[in-house]
Amino acid sequence: MTSVFLEMLDGFTRQRGVQGGLVVSERDGIVVDAHVQLGVRASVVAALAASIYRKARLSAEAAGLGGVAYVELAAVQGRLCMAGRGDLVVVLVTDGRSSVGLLRTALLRALDNLP
Amino acid sequence: MTIAVVEPWVEAPLRHFVQDAQVTLALLLTPSGQVLGQHGFTRAVDVMAACALAAAIHASSSELGKMLEGKPFAGLHHAGATRQIFLAPAETRRGTLLCLTVFDDATSIGIVQLYFDELRGRLEAGAPGARTPPTGVLADTFEQDLNRNLTLLFRR
Repeated sequence: MTSVFLEMLDGFTRQRGVQGGLVVSERDGIVVDAHVQLGVRASVVAALAASIYRKARLSAEAAGLGGVAYVELAAVQGRLCMAGRGDLVVVLVTDGRSSVGLLRTALLRALDNLP
Repeated sequence: MTIAVVEPWVEAPLRHFVQDAQVTLALLLTPSGQVLGQHGFTRAVDVMAACALAAAIHASSSELGKMLEGKPFAGLHHAGATRQIFLAPAETRRGTLLCLTVFDDATSIGIVQLYFDELRGRLEAGAPGARTPPTGVLADTFEQDLNRNLTLLFRR
C-alpha cells in the first residue's frame, strides 16, 4: 500500500548518507510512514525524535522565539534532522557523509507537501 | 517520586519505567487484579478499583484478540482529551503481569511503549522463580492477599 508520503521519503533516502526518513506524529511519537534502511529502529527513533522536537518547539515558544523551523541533532556518527508542520514531523537519519545544507533545504521545502 | 511495591523485585523496573517514560500513574498487577506495585496513587481504594478495572479490561480485550486474531492483543491504548491510558501484559517467570499506566502531554504513547518494552525486559530478567498457580479462577486466599497487598502499599 502506498501513502501520500512515499514519494517524499523516497526522494530523501536516495540522497547520499541518508539512512532513513520518517514521518512522525509529534503528539503521539509514533510512525506515520517510514522508509528506513535495515538496522534503523524506526519506532524507537520516532518516539525519541518526536520528543526532542516537541521539547525544542516548546523551548523556542517559551523563549519568545516563535515556532521551530528546523532542529538538528549532531551525533558522533551522524545527524538527526527534523522539521515539522502541525502535528507531523519529518525526521531524517543520516550518517557522516550527508550534505546537511542540501538536506535542510529539501526538508524545509518538503514541509509544503505535508497535509 | 513515590513507588510502593508489595514484592521488592518489581521496584527497580517500575522506578526506571516511571522516570524514563514520565508517566503520572503506574500500576503493576496480576491478571486476577492483585496489585504488586504502584506509583502516583494516594488512596488504597483507587488502587483497588483501578486494578479490578484493568484486570477486567485485559480479560475482555484478550478474548476479543483471540476471536479476531487467534491471540490476545499485545496492548491497549486509550487517548482522552488530556490524559491517556496504556495497558499491556508482560510475561515473567512469575506468570503474566499487567502494567496500567496513565500519562499526559509531558510524554507520548511512542515513548511509553518504548520504555514499556524495557520494563518488560527488566521484569523478565528480575523475576524470581515461579509460584504454584491457583487451581481455581481465583486463589482461595484472594481477598486476604488483596487486603495484605493494599496494606503493604499504603502502610495503614
